[in-house]
Amino acid sequence: MATFVVLAVVMVVGALGVVLLKQPVHAALSLVGTLLTLAVTYVTLEAHFLAAVQVIVYAGAIMVLFLFVLMLLNVQDTGPRRSLPGLRWAAYAAAVVTATAIAAVAFWDGRPAPDPAVVSLHLQGGSAGGIGDALFGELLLAFHLVGVLLLTGVVGAVALVQRRAESAHGAPKGTGLPAGRDAADGKARALASGGRR
Amino acid sequence: MNVPTEAYVALSGVLFAIGAMGVLVRRSAIMVFLSVELMLNAANLAIVAYARHWAGFDALAGLTGQTVVFIVLAVAAAEVAVGLAILIAIFRDRSSTDVDALAEVRL
Repeated sequence: MATFVVLAVVMVVGALGVVLLKQPVHAALSLVGTLLTLAVTYVTLEAHFLAAVQVIVYAGAIMVLFLFVLMLLNVQDTGPRRSLPGLRWAAYAAAVVTATAIAAVAFWDGRPAPDPAVVSLHLQGGSAGGIGDALFGELLLAFHLVGVLLLTGVVGAVALVQRRAESAHGAPKGTGLPAGRDAADGKARALASGGRR
Repeated sequence: MNVPTEAYVALSGVLFAIGAMGVLVRRSAIMVFLSVELMLNAANLAIVAYARHWAGFDALAGLTGQTVVFIVLAVAAAEVAVGLAILIAIFRDRSSTDVDALAEVRL
């Protein structure tokens, strides 16, 4: 139980950091910490293969992608939204109410825990072999569909980013695009000089 | 092993609520996206916790539940690739990812 409390505290603090830290890079690194703690929590739930995948895919690959994009876009996220004045406090209140409600229902509807020995026997330590049996047996269709989805997603991502570059090459001078690029350059320069100040 | 499933589900609910709060509060679209990732992982935690719970009653349920989380991870990877590509396309067009500046998309 002590392990769980420590993990839960670290995870909630990390999650609050994701939401509340001003600097986007700090928030992203806070999410990395949360995801690593989540991987340790998977170990306590006897899902060892998932813990490894969580570290490699999520905390590794996906978060590196996020950090690259943050670096590329130079995102500034300062201050609350302006359009709805009371939104910030309403969001805080809604989050507290939702969290309390879910936790209360979870404990109120608590079921007797199953026998730990049986659980360990059936989960096989969450090994890659057991996961593979389920993946290529019961969930074979989902496995195939995910393969198609990943291929579509990668092709779609490349197409989304590429089309703009092609039209930039093909566009004659005097269209709106070079002006837009100049404006972006000017903004980047202003940000860079602001950073050096 | 003696931590009850309810505790994990409650933790998952807290993480989900924090992520939802981030979606509402953040201004930059990429930070909204980070909060969505947090919500997704909260849901994964609940599935893994339930998988351990039901492994006590059914020989296959536990491992099937963990495999579902594995598939969700793959879908999340595809989602991140496409989502970040959309964000980059928006940023190229407007030099900003402020969600309030994208107001003309709404009805």
